[in-house]
Amino acid sequence: MLIGTAPQGAPARPAGVPGQEERVAARVAELEHKLGDPTDETNEVSYTRLLQDDEAGEISAAGERILDAAVLNADFVPRAEGGRLERIDTLVRVMRSVFRRDVTLGLGYGVTSFMAGVNVWTEGDADQRARFARILLDGGKVSVAYHELAHGNDFVRNEFEARPSVDGGYLLNGEKQVINNADRAAAWVLFGRTNPAPGSRSHSVFFAERAGLDASTYRVLPRYDAVGVRGCHLSGLHFDNTPLPDTALVGELGKGVELALRAFQITRSAVPGMALGATDTSLRTVVRFALGRQLYRKSVMDIPHAKATLSAAFLDLLICDSLSLAATRAVHLLPEETSVYAAATKYLVPKLLTEAMHELSIVLGARFYVREGEFGIFQKHIRDLPVLSLGHAGSAACQATIIPQLPRLARRAWFSDDPAPAALFRLRDDLDEIPFADLTLASGRDRLSASLIAAIDELPSGTPEERTVHAIALKMMDELRRLQEAGSSLAPEDRTALASPATFALADRYTVLLAAASVIGVWQQARTAEDPFLADPAWAAAALHRLARRLGQNPPDLPAAAEARVHDEVLRRFHDRTSYDLYDAPLAG
Amino acid sequence: MPVPTTGHTVESLTTWLGERIALYLKRQPAEIDPTVPLAEYGLDSVAAFSLCGDIEEDFDFILEPTAAWDYPTVQALAEHLIKEFDAAKGGAA
Ligand SMILES: Cc1cc2nc3c(=O)[nH]c(=O)nc-3n(C[C@H](O)[C@H](O)[C@H](O)COP(=O)(O)OP(=O)(O)OC[C@H]3O[C@@H](n4cnc5c(N)ncnc54)[C@H](O)[C@@H]3O)c2cc1C
Repeated sequence: MLIGTAPQGAPARPAGVPGQEERVAARVAELEHKLGDPTDETNEVSYTRLLQDDEAGEISAAGERILDAAVLNADFVPRAEGGRLERIDTLVRVMRSVFRRDVTLGLGYGVTSFMAGVNVWTEGDADQRARFARILLDGGKVSVAYHELAHGNDFVRNEFEARPSVDGGYLLNGEKQVINNADRAAAWVLFGRTNPAPGSRSHSVFFAERAGLDASTYRVLPRYDAVGVRGCHLSGLHFDNTPLPDTALVGELGKGVELALRAFQITRSAVPGMALGATDTSLRTVVRFALGRQLYRKSVMDIPHAKATLSAAFLDLLICDSLSLAATRAVHLLPEETSVYAAATKYLVPKLLTEAMHELSIVLGARFYVREGEFGIFQKHIRDLPVLSLGHAGSAACQATIIPQLPRLARRAWFSDDPAPAALFRLRDDLDEIPFADLTLASGRDRLSASLIAAIDELPSGTPEERTVHAIALKMMDELRRLQEAGSSLAPEDRTALASPATFALADRYTVLLAAASVIGVWQQARTAEDPFLADPAWAAAALHRLARRLGQNPPDLPAAAEARVHDEVLRRFHDRTSYDLYDAPLAG
Repeated sequence: MPVPTTGHTVESLTTWLGERIALYLKRQPAEIDPTVPLAEYGLDSVAAFSLCGDIEEDFDFILEPTAAWDYPTVQALAEHLIKEFDAAKGGAA
């Protein structure tokens, strides 16, 4: 089967009716226009203003006003409920415009409500979905209140109680801590213990609307101060016998852990790719510095190490975007496989972005340490980004989600599954609506890595760049074979969170392999698409080269022309003001 | 090497499960009380999926990933497995 020959594009539709691609492109353009050029000092959401807000520990009021006027909340509400949400990959593109400017706004304005929302879209009844949609479409916020300091990622031991009351309904008792927007949300999605028994069937999810609650029985706890996202309203909630009606229960009683692990596959696939926007800005900032700063009678950009570092950061962004694309489109196309891809994305993307930022900081030199001025946004983004790997399932917890699935994947999936549909990798193709009901806890299939195996027979090998791609694809296949051997012989004690560090390393290698499979898939599908850069094997060869080196493989030397091609693209996009991701989207600045 | 799903008893499965869980938790099988919820021993929710994977591997029998949540002790799970095995046999006959 030869995939990758049909031209990319949306299916036929009546002339004049905008399709999904036109809708998302228009939405991104609208937000870019409304938020304006962030390097323009007169803009009320310029980097300078955003830095001032951050110093003051405030979320940008002007930014929130602009996003309110654009009704960004509608992007978190499915179209069936009156909103604009139709695809997860397109939501990521829209949110990137916000994260490019300010991670605080990204999380504090929106993502928190979206995280709360996926629970209700997944298991809420029609009335709950309608009420949730109403709050967001009216400009309200909803908190997602799962976390308790005492238990962290081990949320199955959470104690906050929603005890079924004898008169019907529930009684809330206890505390939720470090909850975004707890103070100002119109509603909270609460994760509460409904049964004192230990285990994974003792918690339930509740959609608690503030308006209906007895205000004398709960209070908002003082705000936390954090290293990053300093404008986010992080506080807590304390409840003391607060009655909650029966209608607040989302899904079935006792199925809260299952709901969380299913619904959050969507947000874990999506949020890392949104935050990629912050690294895009950081790269852009360092490119500006490198072009402007003169040393040794040259610009910093002429120093080979600096130049290579910037190209590497761009490649990391393309790698992250490829994995993010596959994971978010998998929600639609391979929902039963998403548990692994979401965990892989939530683990690897923040890690690669954080490492890329560190490398960029070396080029920025002492200016990386300055909190204001032309390059000040860099230190803010570098402080803000780690929240990605901390919150909403930490990196190790994501690896621990993958580990128990490895033996089964090794036995049943690898080298036997069919490849993913080509649509998984096609940036601009339409998708059917989000199949919330089809998300499953674990599946034992992996068609993303199967695509890599299938690609080996299909990849061209005419040019040196193409031969590099092909050679690395073969190395990745060997890697999968080694993973299969290791995965199928994992000792029982290595199949839980208590697994050996070597087993966590195995999960790490697997995520890198999934990223490589995504890069190959995206390039294969882009070969016939309009974008000449994505169609060119140079970026794929260079990106795979980085991934291969990361795995300690000994890839063949990257053709010098491929490096030059990537460097030229870094410069072109800087001058043309287009995004450092798969989309090459026009930016306001 | 999968073993057939016939010829098991609640006792034999209890022994198998106890030994397997002891391995996960790096404890002695004798320390695993079949009536104590697995979560009490620190087996986390996702690790319970491993157990289902192991059952699949050793008995060639596919179980819901949440079986160890719904039958949270060794004993409850052993009884559930016997029922499932019997039902599968009935279905195949
Ligand atoms: C800025 C910010 C905003 C937040 N907003 C919200 C919010 O709106 N709503 C909300 O509910 N929560 C929120 N949180 C809380 C966040 O979800 C928790 O902090 C996080 O899930 C738990 O993190 P922890 O570091 O306490 O983890 P812990 O579980 O204490 O982890 C500590 C370490 O233990 C190890 N570890 C933990 N689990 C495993 C495992 N399974 N396998 C192997 N090793 C493991 C890892 O090394 C880990 O780093 C927010 C947090 C921050 C920082």
